[in-house]
Amino acid sequence: MLILTSFFVIAQTKKADSIPTKIEKYGIRFGADISKLVQSFYDKKYKGIEFVGDYRITKNYYLAGELGNENVTVDDDRLSFTTKGTFLKVGFDYNSYENWLDMKNMLYLGMRYGASTFSQTLNSYKLYNTSTYFPEAPTVISGEKYDGLTSQWIEVVLGLKTEVIKNIYIGFSIRMNRLLTNTKPENFDNLYIPGFNRTYNGDFGIGFNYSVSYFLPLYKTKSIPKSDLKKK
Amino acid sequence: MKKILLLFICIITVSFSSCEKDDICEASTATTPKIVIEFYDFLNPTVKKNVTNLAVKEINSTTSLTYTEISKIKIPLKTNLDLTKYSFILNSTDVAIKNEDFLQFNYSRQTIFVSRACGFKTNFTLDSTLPFIKTETSIPDGYWIRNVVITTSNITTENETHVKIYF
Repeated sequence: MLILTSFFVIAQTKKADSIPTKIEKYGIRFGADISKLVQSFYDKKYKGIEFVGDYRITKNYYLAGELGNENVTVDDDRLSFTTKGTFLKVGFDYNSYENWLDMKNMLYLGMRYGASTFSQTLNSYKLYNTSTYFPEAPTVISGEKYDGLTSQWIEVVLGLKTEVIKNIYIGFSIRMNRLLTNTKPENFDNLYIPGFNRTYNGDFGIGFNYSVSYFLPLYKTKSIPKSDLKKK
Repeated sequence: MKKILLLFICIITVSFSSCEKDDICEASTATTPKIVIEFYDFLNPTVKKNVTNLAVKEINSTTSLTYTEISKIKIPLKTNLDLTKYSFILNSTDVAIKNEDFLQFNYSRQTIFVSRACGFKTNFTLDSTLPFIKTETSIPDGYWIRNVVITTSNITTENETHVKIYF
């Protein structure tokens, strides 16, 4: 017993003297976008879910992706429409944050390829008339549905992820989107694309997510500090 | 690290500032066109003729549009009906010489998507067999409109003349 404790003391003093070896955990992380869940709860015009996941492949690179579904009704001044569809995004994240000791935070930059298949329903619209001679024509109820629409885009992702409890992470990311292909319905437009969000006159869009995810460690590696490597 | 945070802030700022841009239907956007009518001299059909105190009033409307000393007018068509009937009163300010004729335009309507901010517009196509009906008012004062010619039956822009009226 005495020998054992003395051995521990020796071991501890030894450890304190040298630079500790860093243990890097590799594994899969999966979760969901909380903002979409919360919005689905309070916003009657929105129903959406987005699952997020990443897999660490090297020290700084992660294979990452999102899979989701949205059902959005937009009531604008001139028209009202409903967009329903599924989206998938795949790409990578590059962690630029140098973690201290056993910290597992991420400040990352990433890219995604996104694709969505969806339908648009034009609920109602108003006819724009610059002449005010006649009273404005009443809102036209349409209900016309445009099926089989697809869009593809590229996203540049900037995000943060931090471990709040062991293996539980919260993250925030903002995305700059640019459309690559977009099949527009005849005599209407894709004013909202699931996964891409609201479209503007050009090809650009903005997205974000606020995720909570669980990290499932699969294996560990010991990274030898650089100063040690130089000695050898 | 600091640079990335700065970029982060930039992206957020840009994203919010660009939100409002396409929410307003700009005046320059081509929306529902009016019908463009040009007046010509009946006796000298190649020469444009100015109208004097011309009052144009849709028959169920209470207000009239008045034009004087011009040869080209633009008037709206109804977007919820396939016909619009106007009363054209020449010399409307002078009871002694004023003359009123009815002109009804018959057309079909096409709904065209413009943009998120403008919504939809209506284009018109004047009926190929009976584009207009000219009628006399209850007071038989004769027609001041001698002849009506349709030059363009597709009303999609206000940059061209659709109807020529000879008087």
